Amino acid sequence: MSMIEDALNKVKSTRGNALTVISSNEYLKSHEDDDSRLSKRNIRFDERTQLTTINHASSVKEIALMKNTELLQKNDLSELKIIFSDMPDNKIADVYRDLRTKIIQASKTKVVSVMLTSCVPGYYSTMTALNMAAAFSLDESKTSLLVDCNLNNPQLDKKLNFLEGTTGLTDYLEDEGATVDSILQESGVKRLRVISAGQSRETATEYFTSLRMRDLMSSLLTRYSDRYLFLDAAPVVDSADTRILVELCDYVVMVVPYGKATRNRVKEAAKAIGKDKLLGVIFADKPAIPKFSNIKNSKKI
Amino acid sequence: MNVPFEEILKALFAECFARRNMIIAVFSIISLSLLGIGTIWPNKYTSYSIIHIDQTNILQSLMRGRAEATKAVDHVANAREIIFGDKIISTILHDANWLKKQVLSEVEQEQLKQDIKKRIKIEKVGEALIKISYRDSNPSRAYITAKRLAELFIAEGEKSKSKESQAAYDFIDMQVKQYLHKLTEVETNLSKFRSENPDSRPGLVNEVSTRISNYQKDIEKARLELSEAQIRQKSLNEQLSGEAFITISQSKEGQYRAKIAELQENLESLRLDYKETYPDIVRIKHQIVDLKTSMQEEIKRRKIAKQNAKNKGGTFIDESILLNPIYQQLRGKAASTKTEIATLKARISELHKLLKHEFERAKNISGGEATLSKLTRDYDVNQGLYQDLLRRRENARVSKSIDQERSGLTFKLQEPAKLPLIPTGLRFLHFVLAGLILGIIVPVAGVLMLLQLDPRIRFSQVLTSELELPVLGEVREINSYSELYQTKVNLIVITAVLAVIFLIYGYVSWLKVTGKF
Repeated sequence: MSMIEDALNKVKSTRGNALTVISSNEYLKSHEDDDSRLSKRNIRFDERTQLTTINHASSVKEIALMKNTELLQKNDLSELKIIFSDMPDNKIADVYRDLRTKIIQASKTKVVSVMLTSCVPGYYSTMTALNMAAAFSLDESKTSLLVDCNLNNPQLDKKLNFLEGTTGLTDYLEDEGATVDSILQESGVKRLRVISAGQSRETATEYFTSLRMRDLMSSLLTRYSDRYLFLDAAPVVDSADTRILVELCDYVVMVVPYGKATRNRVKEAAKAIGKDKLLGVIFADKPAIPKFSNIKNSKKI
Repeated sequence: MNVPFEEILKALFAECFARRNMIIAVFSIISLSLLGIGTIWPNKYTSYSIIHIDQTNILQSLMRGRAEATKAVDHVANAREIIFGDKIISTILHDANWLKKQVLSEVEQEQLKQDIKKRIKIEKVGEALIKISYRDSNPSRAYITAKRLAELFIAEGEKSKSKESQAAYDFIDMQVKQYLHKLTEVETNLSKFRSENPDSRPGLVNEVSTRISNYQKDIEKARLELSEAQIRQKSLNEQLSGEAFITISQSKEGQYRAKIAELQENLESLRLDYKETYPDIVRIKHQIVDLKTSMQEEIKRRKIAKQNAKNKGGTFIDESILLNPIYQQLRGKAASTKTEIATLKARISELHKLLKHEFERAKNISGGEATLSKLTRDYDVNQGLYQDLLRRRENARVSKSIDQERSGLTFKLQEPAKLPLIPTGLRFLHFVLAGLILGIIVPVAGVLMLLQLDPRIRFSQVLTSELELPVLGEVREINSYSELYQTKVNLIVITAVLAVIFLIYGYVSWLKVTGKF
């Protein structure tokens, strides 16, 4: 019995049977052979995810109350190139864990919003942002939320294989009546929620300068006491949206892809972000020779 | 920016792994291409001969000490000149059976000759050793050609050596004749000159100049003596002149005056005691008057003598003086001095004549002696050279005889040509090895160059040290299960490709070794 189940049982005893919670073991059993499910998924937050009653006394309990109806299998996570705790190449997960520690140290125990942006046009920081958020969600006491702020070329839906027409950020910003809950979606990774870019992308720049965007940011940050907010933005050099977002977030992490960025490009990007907000640089996609054992043991999926 | 070597190596491996398909493709192309070239590359067989060439030159030894021969002899250049001559190459063309199989036109033959020349290599392998090698696809033809080249070269060399000794003998003989002619000519000139100039003998100039010098000295001496005699004569003449007489005369006047003063003194003393009429006083007075008169006469006579001496230029001499022995002695001296002066003048005149004569003689002698010494020198030199050349001509005659009998060979076949059994130059094995090595090196070097030259950032150290940006972490590419599987399949395919390449290598090598290919 995991700690989460223990916490939930405590909640059950106080609140009755209002919660619908399944144990992780049971969950894995029930989904062992469901490999093709991910591709067929069309996650609609309002239909498939509900937050249970929240007990603010404990963040662990609070997080445990989050409903995760359909979690991704290891194979799915591997195919999506999202890190998980016992992935074959542990070094990658360790690197992200290390990054998580550095961000927590920088935030000084406060929940912060971190924007990730690339310095190279055409290269998107989505995978780094997704894995960064996943690294936070590996910690049972923390949750993370990844918002796709790349409104012109949204990448998150593609990476997570979301179907087209997923409600997202622009829908919320356009529709005054829409709620935050209506755009929050399950990622398939435990304790990781995502917000898609949305369908309407006509006046992207104006969205980020709106008051509603500011309200959304503060609302997302204060929604849970241990929720870290990650914004996946378009490459900073050629996107005005990203420069506006720099002002809205606490920190910016610049992604420098291996063998793609020149010195001048990196300098330019760093200058556009500014020294105050730039937390640091992630040198991404460094080629490495996979472990021979991993290759040897690999099977056709 | 200094990236640690370890990091570069890691990056190189990772990049090579990422580009493994390209690397295998390049490897396959290069290795199989070189294998293909290696199989069709004709084997080259090289046969060679080493020839020892005697450094000494016949003319050099014959002319030692008299003429300098060229010291730096380029044997290779000489050999090249001889071998690449049309004579030897044409002989090779026949001897190596080039023309037996086919009938070639003149142009084709010329082309063939050029090809053969290209395959001949002449090099210096030691101080006096040259190596003549020939490369051909046919080992026996390589052997025959190399063998014949050495033989023909030696034969030509010997021929030229014999020619050389004959030429040396002829040269020296010609020189002997020339010097004999010169010597005869000089001898004739010398004898002619001697007959024309009997006086001329070596050292005559010195003799004449000594004589001139002596004459000049004598003249100087005579002049000095003459001057001395003239001064003496003048002095004697002065002594003998009227002035002497006047002196004597003045002394007579003085005697009168003294006598008058004495008488005057007596008169004064007598006047103290006696009157004027006292006889002694009267006598003394008369005496005084007489003396005064005599004195006046003497004065008058002196004046007249002076006047006469002035008018006549001579000397008025009183008889009393003439009879004076000193005066006689002076006159004698003056006469002898006069004689001496005349003698000296005559001597000087004579010496001048002699000197003039000697000068004339010296003039004639100096021209004659220069001609004589020139003729004598020419004679000596020509005679020395002639003698020397006679001796050398005898040596040359011996050398010529030795060369004619071939007992003094200069060219020696140090290492005769052998039938080559192992091909030389690029062989199949070289292509096989080059294919494998270059197949790996070229693509890997390309990747390394990309790492070094591509300005895009491939090392996080650039971000920290150059751009001074904090690097939070280096994230590697995540390989999904399917990608790992694809990699596995890919590696199997690559292994299979490599196996096929090595199988091809092995099979082709086996065919090549067994001679089936």
